[in-house]
Amino acid sequence: MRWRLETVVTALAIVALAVLIALPVASLLWGSVAGPNGLTIGFYTRVFARRLYLNAVLNSLILGAWTGLFSIVIGVPLAWAVARTDMPAKAFVRLTATLAYLSPPFLVAIAYVNLFGPHAGVINEFIRDTLGVPALTFDIFSMAGLVLVTVPHTFPFVYMLTSAALDSVDASFEESAQILGAGRMRTVLAVTFPLVAPAILSGALIGFVNAIALFGSQAVIGLPARLFTLPTRIYALFDYPPEYGLASALSLVFVATTVAALYLQRAFLARRSYVTLSGKGTRPGAMKLGAWRWPLLGFAGLTFVFAIALPYGSLLAVSLSKSWGLAFWRNLTLANYGFVLFRYDVTQRAVLNSLLLATLAASGAVVLGAAIGWIELRTPTRGRRLLDYVALVPLGLPGIVMAVAILQFWLRMPVRLYGTLLILLLAYCARYLPLGVRAANSALRQIDPALEESARILGASWGTTMREITLPLMRTGLFAGWILIFVPAIQELSASILLYSPDTVTLAVAVYNLYENGYTEPVAALALINVAIIAAAIAVARWVAGGESHFASVT
Amino acid sequence: MKSDLVIEKLSKTYDRTPTGDAAVSNLSLAIASGEFVTLLGPSGCGKTTTLRLIAGYLAPDSGTIAVGGRLMSSARGVVPPEDRGMGMVFQNYAVWPHKTVFENVVFGLKLRKLTRAEARRRVEQALAAMNLSGLEHRYPNELSGGQQQRVALARSLVVEPSVLLLDEPLSNLDAKLRERMRSELKQLQRRTGITFVYVTHDQSEALALSDRVAVLDRGRLQQYGTPREVYTRPANRVVADFMGLVNLIPARVAGAGTVQLGGLSLAIAPPDGTAAGALVDLAVRPECIRLTMDGPASSTLAARVEDRSYLGNLNEYVVALADGVRLRVQAAPDAPDFAVGSEVRLSIDARQCNVFPHTAGGGSPA
Repeated sequence: MRWRLETVVTALAIVALAVLIALPVASLLWGSVAGPNGLTIGFYTRVFARRLYLNAVLNSLILGAWTGLFSIVIGVPLAWAVARTDMPAKAFVRLTATLAYLSPPFLVAIAYVNLFGPHAGVINEFIRDTLGVPALTFDIFSMAGLVLVTVPHTFPFVYMLTSAALDSVDASFEESAQILGAGRMRTVLAVTFPLVAPAILSGALIGFVNAIALFGSQAVIGLPARLFTLPTRIYALFDYPPEYGLASALSLVFVATTVAALYLQRAFLARRSYVTLSGKGTRPGAMKLGAWRWPLLGFAGLTFVFAIALPYGSLLAVSLSKSWGLAFWRNLTLANYGFVLFRYDVTQRAVLNSLLLATLAASGAVVLGAAIGWIELRTPTRGRRLLDYVALVPLGLPGIVMAVAILQFWLRMPVRLYGTLLILLLAYCARYLPLGVRAANSALRQIDPALEESARILGASWGTTMREITLPLMRTGLFAGWILIFVPAIQELSASILLYSPDTVTLAVAVYNLYENGYTEPVAALALINVAIIAAAIAVARWVAGGESHFASVT
Repeated sequence: MKSDLVIEKLSKTYDRTPTGDAAVSNLSLAIASGEFVTLLGPSGCGKTTTLRLIAGYLAPDSGTIAVGGRLMSSARGVVPPEDRGMGMVFQNYAVWPHKTVFENVVFGLKLRKLTRAEARRRVEQALAAMNLSGLEHRYPNELSGGQQQRVALARSLVVEPSVLLLDEPLSNLDAKLRERMRSELKQLQRRTGITFVYVTHDQSEALALSDRVAVLDRGRLQQYGTPREVYTRPANRVVADFMGLVNLIPARVAGAGTVQLGGLSLAIAPPDGTAAGALVDLAVRPECIRLTMDGPASSTLAARVEDRSYLGNLNEYVVALADGVRLRVQAAPDAPDFAVGSEVRLSIDARQCNVFPHTAGGGSPA
């Protein structure tokens, strides 16, 4: 009788994992081998035999590789400059990285089209017509363009991991090199960078995985150039008549690529252990850069221009102009905002849907994450590690693949979920569950079990202990996880694009559809409204989190 | 009100493989109501596991735990911690960081559905008894370690448990505070008459606090007795070794009631089942050996001083016997001083010695 509540929670968590992840993934596997006449490997042979699909794989790999490389080129110098030198304006660099990370990648892609579109992009227009050197124009609809719009989203991964590693390298490693006679630069190259190399590579691989999963920017930039990647090719397979088998097989190739990269990343990260061993080391003094700090600061400024200033400046300019072009400032207007907010009936529906979905998905993923984390860390349940593994599976599933899996599973079910908000909610919950589990896990790990045990021995039941002790102590961590899910969920496109219906359109889908239909100026207005909602959510989160720091430092 | 705590043939293994070592093995212990009992042993000896079994956080593989005749734990089932009416104080205090001192202490009373006024009165009483008055509305991170410790004690005691379990409660305090809390704990236990079961690896703490000490090693009970008994009459060399510095010197059984160490005949009963001529280990504490300039060969041994350390309250020597065996000797600082290298005579008080069957590798700790 007294174990009732705990048993119910455990059972519910298992059922939720099965419905959200295990069964859809099984459907995906099954769909990739189930032909009209029994089992077949025909879908796979078609994927590997036709240039159409192989090119998509190849393009994704090329995109991921270039993106990873440029993420290192941008992220590492910035991380080093902030962590180890006397470069001025460090807060500005941190802000740039944070904003770049939070900014929706497909909005950046749309913004760059306004700047570097082969015909109507204003920078190209300026170079061609005003300067009169058409040879210097840049066509955004190309692999180079795709890399350009993707890197702002991925370099922050390298920047953050490298910063964290640099912060945890004990100064004594570097000081021992210096006392042996190594100069400053020599020390950096021979000691510091080898120590943080695993973190750098790890960040680049996370960048790779994230880059190749982005449906939005690859559709915006790639499709006009007939440059197909895995997400866009899978998406195209759902044009009538949908090719479920091929889509499943291609999805699994996509998963294999992602998982391979994540596996490598884990291997690199595991080697990082020797960096973080010492926690009590002193910080090394900042390296004096002398005149060199100006080029480095210039580099940071350039990053800001390309990642933030250009895309958002141009979106703002476009959204305020009657007709986008070099002379846009002669006819400024607010009509575009009026149109998308009040006359374009999709907007309000999309905003409501996205707010609802993001709120429910963040709450669902955090609650389920807390249950899974609790089962893993606090119970002797057999196979609890397995629950944790299943919950982390979505890390290896790009958004569109998650959508293909969920779609196939629910099409086989007697309940008609396709076209409802519920199927989007399930997809979001599944996609972001790993973030929920991680947040709950780290929150629970910081709570000494003795805090819960002392409530029990004072007479508190399991439920009372949860309500009075465990959950209040986890709250800050869970709330951070909630925001970490809410922000990407409000701009989710990769899975939504396959699962939405006219009634269940989401914010990002609305932007994408409007863009597809050529509404250049209203798109910019809607994009900025999208960004404003994200900014508001983060502001609210910071305000709420600020009010509960009085016990943050204990246990 | 008799609530004797009786543990019978208790066993618990975490790693349930055939090779898995038992954390607690066949442990039987009877603790009288109102007694202060310490579970003492090195880390990994099973003392904390035993405490957690008593609290009901763990279920035994076999054996039983009963309090006042009521069965609390057996392999078939466990009364959950919340229904045991016990209290527990944890090593790191486990004071809830998100609750004020008052909220921490009142928690157990709220669960017992006391009226607001009554609960408030009892909390204030408990806080006053712990010298915490005036700190009701502080959060734990605004308190010192010692104050947090008192909050944990107040929280446990305010519900008037039949048994209070304490898991190394003093080990996170600095030396001075530890000393003071130690005497406060002892007074507290006398005043309340609550049964204390106290876990520590610090033998001096165990000796100072307890009515009885249970020495555990590798999951097994080695000895259960008063502090004086376990110190002066250890049941085996594990206990002797753990209860403080001890010299273990190979010696021979000379006959019934006599053990021969070099030229020295000591009147001690050899362990059961050892015949004359058998090798035994003589356990002598450093303070039971006396060094003198000279003495008769019949009652003293020749030794040479190899090292000498001045420790303030005593002098500690390392001396070597003629056969190379090294011994630690402690002498009061006002006793005659011996320089390193000097030849001395050494005498041992047989009444303060113990003899154990010889174990290979048994030598002196010096």
